[in-house]
Formats: sequence, structure tokens, C-alpha cells
Amino acid sequence: MTAVPQVTKSPPFAARPAEPIDPVYRQIRDLVYKVSGIYQAEDKLYLLSDGCTRRIKQLQLRSPREYWDHLVAHPSRDGELRQLLNEITIGETCLFRSQPQLDALRKVILPELVADKARQITKRLRIWSAGCSTGEEPYTLAMNMIEESQALLKDWKVEIIATDLNDRSLETAKAGIYGDYALRCTPELYKRKYFLPPKDKKLEVRPEVRGLISFSRLNLQDDSRMLFMKGMDLIFCCNVLIYFDGVSKSRVVDHFFGNLTFGGYFFLGVSESLLNLNDKFHLVHFPGAIGYWKPSLSSGKL
Amino acid sequence: MINASIAATIRERVDTIETTPSIPIVFLPLLDLLNLPSDMVNLDQIVKLVSYDNTIAAQCLRVANSPLFGMSKAPDSIKAAVISLGIRRVQTILLTCCMGKAFPTKNWAIDPIVFWRHSLGCAMVCRKFSESLATGDADKAYMAGLLHDLGFMVNCMVFSAEFAVAAKNAAEQQIPFEEAERASMGFAHPDTGRALAERWRLPNDIVDVIAHHHAPEESETAQPLVALVHLSDLLCRMRNLGYGYYERHKVDLLSDPAWATLASHYRRLDGVDLVRFTFEMDEALEGIYQLVNTIFGKSAAAV
Repeated sequence: MTAVPQVTKSPPFAARPAEPIDPVYRQIRDLVYKVSGIYQAEDKLYLLSDGCTRRIKQLQLRSPREYWDHLVAHPSRDGELRQLLNEITIGETCLFRSQPQLDALRKVILPELVADKARQITKRLRIWSAGCSTGEEPYTLAMNMIEESQALLKDWKVEIIATDLNDRSLETAKAGIYGDYALRCTPELYKRKYFLPPKDKKLEVRPEVRGLISFSRLNLQDDSRMLFMKGMDLIFCCNVLIYFDGVSKSRVVDHFFGNLTFGGYFFLGVSESLLNLNDKFHLVHFPGAIGYWKPSLSSGKL
Repeated sequence: MINASIAATIRERVDTIETTPSIPIVFLPLLDLLNLPSDMVNLDQIVKLVSYDNTIAAQCLRVANSPLFGMSKAPDSIKAAVISLGIRRVQTILLTCCMGKAFPTKNWAIDPIVFWRHSLGCAMVCRKFSESLATGDADKAYMAGLLHDLGFMVNCMVFSAEFAVAAKNAAEQQIPFEEAERASMGFAHPDTGRALAERWRLPNDIVDVIAHHHAPEESETAQPLVALVHLSDLLCRMRNLGYGYYERHKVDLLSDPAWATLASHYRRLDGVDLVRFTFEMDEALEGIYQLVNTIFGKSAAAV
């Protein structure tokens, strides 16, 4: 060991900003994750605390701590948790909500699916947007598929099935007219290419985009209809499962597994997880995105 | 495996690295200390070592005070930091700070900041992973994560032309670095990293990690640690802590043989919620970015 002479000088210190968030919100966050698979990251904790604050006011409680007790020990705790989930998931969604998911789709998954299915006679791809709300997700998918239609998906037929339980959301979805807020993540190029010229500051999706999508009403809890949704290559179900309890959630996920073709993929919202709801899916990581894979027959990993 | 003549070339070029003037004086003594079991290192030795270089000492305190290292309040002296964090952890902090200064970053084929983000991110993930498995030596895991890609630095310094081609191919074809290196150079960073690690007489298990983190099954002495680093490395590359380009592949950690290796050593692995682990990692990203700017930003940008 080399001898090292000692130098004494007073070192500078870095100050660390105080964090005002009540630690009880991290407990609530963990609880929410445990029951719903939704994870509020540290920088999104304010969304959780805002939601809790509204519930605290409504219930006339005095503190977050008291609300925590209410969530874990009160006779109506299950109902309250549901209320809280409703508060924190009021989904203001937008087109192009998760670019990493789209990158995974176009750069990794599509090439894989196309290679997998190359030997089949009908070159067809079926995508299901389950719980499509006001249509942002299926339109985003449609535009991205059109982008690939001259290259990877040349000669392929792409079908997008968009379903939701809510009639009013579906009407909005079919209209395909969006304002600035819904378009805040949409690249300029796509705005010019896939929307009609602006009217009243709003943009309407071009008919050829809408043409790829069929909208219909579907209750994910309707077992008999769920059985008919066969042959899906991709299923997107973002921020929907939160509205179900554990049993119905795992039933829906089982359906999804059955609805997918072998080698197909299932995606959840960005901060959601399957949380061991289903052990048949393989958890797969793509750069910046998480997906669930139904192993192909040839992979030998079923 | 690489052949004997390539191995000889690598050793020859690695020999020239030792003459690099920028290696901090405390660096080599620190490496010696790291080879000793922690009960043979005393507090004063490590305080002396940290205090020797004033800029490094200041950096160590800043790092110790970062949320990622878990000190609840700013340490007011190096001694206080060592007492509160423990000798092992301070060694890893000192190592982190030294690494940033040990290598000139002129004309690197990869952005040094991106490289350090990956290394430090991987170190953090290894530590956290190791903690959740209760392996008993989370600081060792940290050190393994920090050093696993040592070979990239070797490549940048003594194989710069060849490596620049590999780096370009990797980014253009969006394939893993190792694949691109083997295709165009005939060897890869695990080989060059191992040569330097052996020359520096790093602990055997760390040498094993550096040499085998892309093929953990080839490790002879430290399989669980190598498997842990392998998985952490993959996870980092999938979560914005890679090498700054899109890697066009998917990662199925649970089906990776390394997962089974780890599971056979640590029963707790069954209980690890990988998705949550991923979310928590995303959460730590910002902290890692800041830390890298604190430690490596200046030295990396200065050259």
C-alpha cells in the first residue's frame, strides 16, 4: 500500500432541497400499485396527493395519515380504493402518448411478426385497441401502420379494431376531431400528413386513416363476446384494467391471452403492470417500454 | 474465445495505458485496498485516501450527499461520511470519483457522458438488485456494475480507430455493441477490459464480471455476481441508460439463463417484482444524470 500524505482543507458541501411530500403518500402509492399495478413515479406523486386531497375533503378527514387509515382499516376500504383509482386515472389522453411503445412496435415487433408470418398465404395483421376511449390510440396506431405500408407492410392488410364500453366516447372517437391538447404530442409531420386542414383550431383525421379502423362497443366483462375476438396480433389495453377488481382483471387478461395469436404482444399503459395476474405471458423489455409476449409455438418457451 | 495472437496484441497495447499521467495518485492505492477484506481496512486509511486530493474529496462528499447514496443529511466531514456510510461504501464512492479522472477522454468513439451514465446506472441497479436479493455484499455488486465495461475505455484509448468503426456500425445497425465489435474487430470489450483488470490486479470476481458479463455461463468463479451484472446491464440498456442509440431488440430477462443461475443462488429472486423494479429504476434516472454531471461532467468535457 502506497503511503499517501494527508492534506487538510475544508471541503465544500452541497445542499439538498427539502422535499415537502408527506411520506404517507409513498405508502398509498405502494398500496395502489399492489392492488392495481399502477405506479406513480416520484415526480408524479403530486397527482396521487391531489387525488387524495379531493377524497380527504369529500370524506371530511383531517390528514393524509387519517386517509391512509381509512384506506386500509375502514369497513368501506375497498370502495374507497376504487374511488381513489377513479380520481387518479381521469385519463386525459393524447395521440402519440408513448413514443417508446411506438418505437418498439415499428422497430422490433413488426419486423418480427412479418418474419414470423411470412410463410402464411394471407398477409394480414389485426390490432385491437381495447378500451379505446375517444380514439387517440387507434388513430395513432393507424398512422404508424400507414407509415410502414410502403416498406415493411407492403402488400399487408392491416385491420385495427377499436372498442370501448362508453357510447359517448365512441361517438367522439368516430368523429376523429381533436384540439391542441389531444395533439400536443403529435409530430408536425403527422399533423400535416394525416389530418385535414384546420377548422376552428381543430384538426380532423383524414378518411384513409379512419378507414383502417372499425369502432364498436364492447364490454370487456362480457365473456361470450370476448371469446369471439380471435386472431389478434397485438392488443393495446391502456389505463383500462384499473377499473376492475382483481378477479375480473385476471379474467380479462386471460381472455386477451386467448385472443392473441402465438407470437403476439399485449401492451398496458405506461405505469401499469400485470403484477403476476397471468403467468403465461412473458414480460419483455424494449428500449423504454414494457410489453407482454405470448410465446410463438416455434420458440419452445411456452 | 479470441486467439492467442489477438490476446497478445491486446496485452501489448494495454501495457501502454499505465503510463497515462492523468490517473489520480490515490487510484492505485485504492485498488490495493479494494483487494483486502473490509475488516482489514481501517477508518483512518480510507479517510486519508479520500482527503488526499482536494477536488476528489469534495466530489466524494457531494456524491455521498446525493439521494442515490442514501445519506439523509449532508456529511460535515469525510470522517463523518465514512462512519455513517461504512468503509465499503466510501471505497465505492472514491472509486467512482477516481474513474472519472483516470482516463483522458480525447477523441472517444463514444460520448464519455453517455458511457458514465451507463456505468453508474448499472452500478446503481446492481446495488439495488443485490439489496433486494439480500446477497450480503451490495457494495461489491456496485463496484462490479461500475467496472463491467472497463473494456470500452481500453478500446477508446488503445484501439481507437478500430473501435470507432465498431461504434458506428452498432449505432447504424441498432445492434448490441458486443456484436458489432466482434464482427469488425474480432474481439470485444470484455477481452480488452479483462486484460486491463488483470494488469491492475482487480479482485478475481470483478475480473470475471468484466470478462464474462455478456456470457455469464462462461464465468468460472463468480457466476451469481456475473449473472447479476449481466441482467442489470440488459435492464439499463432497455431503460434509457444504454449507449445512446436505439438497440433494436427485446429482452426477456425471466427466460435468460442468467435468471435461472441467480434464482438457484438466491431464493428471494422469486419475490422480485421486475416491473416495479423497472419503474423504480426510471425514477432514479434523473438522479443518475445529475450525479454523472457532478462527477464526470467537468473532466469529460474539459479534454
